[in-house]
Parts: sequence; C-alpha cells; structure tokens
Amino acid sequence: MESKVAVVGAGQSKYGESVDKSVKELFLDAYIELINSVDNGLEPREINAVYIGSLGSGGFQLGNLSALMAEYVGLPGVHAVRIENACSSSGFAFIEACLAIMSGMYDVVIAGGVEKMRDVSSLKAKYWLGVSGDTEYERLAGMTFAGLYAIMANRHMHDYGTTREQLSMVAVKNHKNAFLNPKAQFQNKITLEKAMNSPMVAYPLNLFDCCPTTDGASAVLLCKAEIAKKFTDSPVYVAGFGTGTDYLALHDRETITSLKAAVLAAREAYKKAGIKPKDVDVAEVHDCFTIAEIIAYEDLGFCERGEGGKFIEEGLSSMEGEIPVNLSGGLKAKGHPIGATGTGQVYEIFNQLRKTVQKPARQVKDAEIGLTHNVGGSGGTAAVTVFKV
Amino acid sequence: MAYVSVPLYKRTIPQRYGLVGLRCKKCGWINFPPKGVCKNCKESLDFEKVKLSGKGTIYSYTVISAAAAPPEFSKQEKYGGTYVVALVDLDEGPRIVAQLTDCKPGEVKIGMRVKAVLRRIYEDEGVIRYGFKFKPQEEDLNG
Repeated sequence: MESKVAVVGAGQSKYGESVDKSVKELFLDAYIELINSVDNGLEPREINAVYIGSLGSGGFQLGNLSALMAEYVGLPGVHAVRIENACSSSGFAFIEACLAIMSGMYDVVIAGGVEKMRDVSSLKAKYWLGVSGDTEYERLAGMTFAGLYAIMANRHMHDYGTTREQLSMVAVKNHKNAFLNPKAQFQNKITLEKAMNSPMVAYPLNLFDCCPTTDGASAVLLCKAEIAKKFTDSPVYVAGFGTGTDYLALHDRETITSLKAAVLAAREAYKKAGIKPKDVDVAEVHDCFTIAEIIAYEDLGFCERGEGGKFIEEGLSSMEGEIPVNLSGGLKAKGHPIGATGTGQVYEIFNQLRKTVQKPARQVKDAEIGLTHNVGGSGGTAAVTVFKV
Repeated sequence: MAYVSVPLYKRTIPQRYGLVGLRCKKCGWINFPPKGVCKNCKESLDFEKVKLSGKGTIYSYTVISAAAAPPEFSKQEKYGGTYVVALVDLDEGPRIVAQLTDCKPGEVKIGMRVKAVLRRIYEDEGVIRYGFKFKPQEEDLNG
C-alpha cells in the first residue's frame, strides 16, 4: 500500500501518579510537546480534527470529553470526537484519524488519548478496571482483569509448557527498558528473583506480572502524506493498519491462548504494508500482563504458536535481540493510562524511527519498520499499525 | 460501571438457576449463554430452550487472591480468603465461567470433572444474587 498518511509530530505527558495535574493539564503537556516536535512549525489553526481515546477517566467528564480537551489547548470549534474501545481507545483513535485523512475530508489531524486513574480510590478503580470484560457472566463469577489473563496464562502453560519464570522475564526486560525512559512510571530495574517472589494476584500471575494504574496523556500529529515534508524533513509514514474484534467473554471464544482480534488486526496490517512479521525492526506491544506480551509475540508472528516463552527466554525481544519489544518499558513499566496507551505507543515508535528518543541508550539502531499492537479489554478489540521511514 | 443491576440480573434467572440454553433450530448448536443470532451458523434467530446437565470438565482456572477481588465479592473474600474461578466445558458443548465450591484451591486441576450447583453469589442493593458454581464430581473425589 502506498502511504497516504504521515506522522509529523508526537507528544506524551509523564506517565505515573499525577496528583498536581488534571486530565486537561496532562493533555496540554502532550499537546505542547507535540507542537514543539514539528520541525518546521505548525499553526494550530491548521489542525482540522481531534480524535481522543479514553475509557472514562474514572467517571470524570464522561460526556463531551474530546471537546473539552480541544478547547483547553486552544482549539475550540474543531471537529472533535471521543473514541472508546477500552485499553485500545487511542489505537483506534489513531486509525480513525488515518481514515479521516484517507477519505479526503481532512489534511491535518490530531489523534490522542487521556486517562486519569489515580484520582479515584482503589475501590472505585477496581469498578472501573472491570468495565471492559463481560459483565453478565465473568463479573458475576467474581472475575477480575488479572484473573482473565491469569486463566489464559494457566492454559498457555498447560498447552505449551510456558513457565512462570518466563512470565517474570517479561517484567524484568520491560523494567530494564523503562529505567532509560524519563517518562516512564517505574524507572527502576528489578531482578528475576524479586519478580518471581512478589505476592500472587491471580494464580499464576503475581504483582510484577501486572501493569500499574496510571495517569497520562499522549497525542500525535497526522497529515496527508503529500504535505508531510512541509512540516518535517523526516516524517514517519503509516505503511498499513488493521483492526479486529472478538467475543468479549473468554468462554465464548475459539481459543484463550491467542487473541483472535489481534491476529486479525496483524494479518490485515501486514498485508496492507506488504511486509512479513520478521521485517519488523522495533515494536511496542500491549503487555497489560506479562502473559499478554508472550501471546503478542505469537499473535504478531514474531515466533511460532506456543514459542512465546522461548522468545523472551532467548532474549530475542530485548534491546539487542531480533525484534526489540517495548523499549519504552511497555504498559508494565512505562505505565498504562488506558485511553492514552495506543498513541503513547505511536509516540515511542515515532521517536525510535526518527532516532529522537530522549536517552540515546534506549535508541534502537538502524530501524526502518516499526509496529504498534494495542488491545482492548481482554481482547475484545485490537488495533495494529505498521510504520516506516 | 461493571455493575449488575437487579433488572439485568432478573432477566438472566433462567440461565442462572436452571442452566437453560438455546438450541438453534437450523444447525442444532447449543447457545449458552444466549446470543441474539446463533453463534455457530450466524444466520438463525429460531431457537428452542434446552436444560443443560451442568456436568463438565475444567478447561482452565485461576485463583483470585485475597484483597484482589471485585468490591461486591469482598465479603466472601473476607470470610473465605482466596477463591477459584474456572472455565468449564459443559458436556453438551458450551464453555462457561463460574466459581468453584466445596474444594480447596490446591486440589483444582485442568481436566477435573465438575458439576453445577446452585449457590449464593453475593448480596447487593438488598437482593441476594443466586447462581451456579461448580463442585468436583463425586467419582473424582473417590478415585
């Protein structure tokens, strides 16, 4: 597919617990960095539309959130829409922005995402985090989000011999990467021993197998490919994208050791981009739980089905590996501000491909093709995008 | 919120108390829980009710740790500690999710035979929510 859309700017707030900043101010942080990242400058009046991904920010401003974000950063009057697909909200906001440009309607569009999870009590956060799975049966069985991924992990271990040690290796790698990311929630390295001996949350997943709750915002600037050079000499092009959906409840699915929505999304994205999985040089994948990253290796075709555990164990997804995965620290250590995660992944890939990450030690060498993999809920939705320079 | 209101709960009582599924009159597939359009043929809306035996096999499970349960289950957790949630393959075909009961977390295995029993799930807004849980089938306990 000939690239019709380019990314020419990107910004991200610091991820973590932002006691001093509201969701509006976090979005402003991302927006200001986005504007400053446009090499040749951008006049805000050139922006035609704003797509904002958000789950609901713990109930704050459930309605008209996108218009609020737009007016707060000085863009009242612009076409603004909130996109909600759980944890993949801004992955889908990004794709809606691409479609808006490809339709010929708009030339310059912002896709972003926001979430504020830590203003509410942990009790309320538990209510909110449970909203994206199946309510009628999973929730009434006392299921939790960690529980859903745990039940996938248990079967994955049973079918393929994946080990708890391999799960913990994902956490160790992603913490190591986040150590070099000034915008990450957890900038600390952990040992395998510490990861393996943390308290159990939902067997076989322990605390270090789970991503944190996070406040944060991200935003990227997209434009029609023909005008990309007006904004920068080094745009990143959208080579292809795909989406998928699946049954919300695990009991309705064909399999629980793979996310079919992600498989569908990846297949479509690779086909449109005209590449094979092994052509990917760097990837940001949806590691809400460590098992999710292992399943992502398999769903994205980085390795054969059932070989995800070996893929991490052999170091193939590390900085020095075949396909470095989650150099930002991933959801596990960079943090997971639900609605902001998708365009936060694009922010990392944009900078990796342009060689502009904040700390050179985190910069991947000679990368030309990048990929983002953003999953909603326990796999009810998924969006995959391939980028190239 | 992930909140099961009284009316929402009441509408699903045939499934919760009686394990009533819907057999597709076109392709014979048993839909449980019900779907609007048959999950298998994706064409038919013509169903007949069928009561499931409640017998099945554990496909996978997790043990929800103390303090990690959803708020509406905190009372159960306070008295019982951890609890097991399992995916069970019913003998008639459908797979369903429910808690296990009458067994210890350490005794649970993938492949274990179980049977559905009616239990109190939790109380909310002054209304007790009953539903099915699974307990080990007797032959497994003896064998």
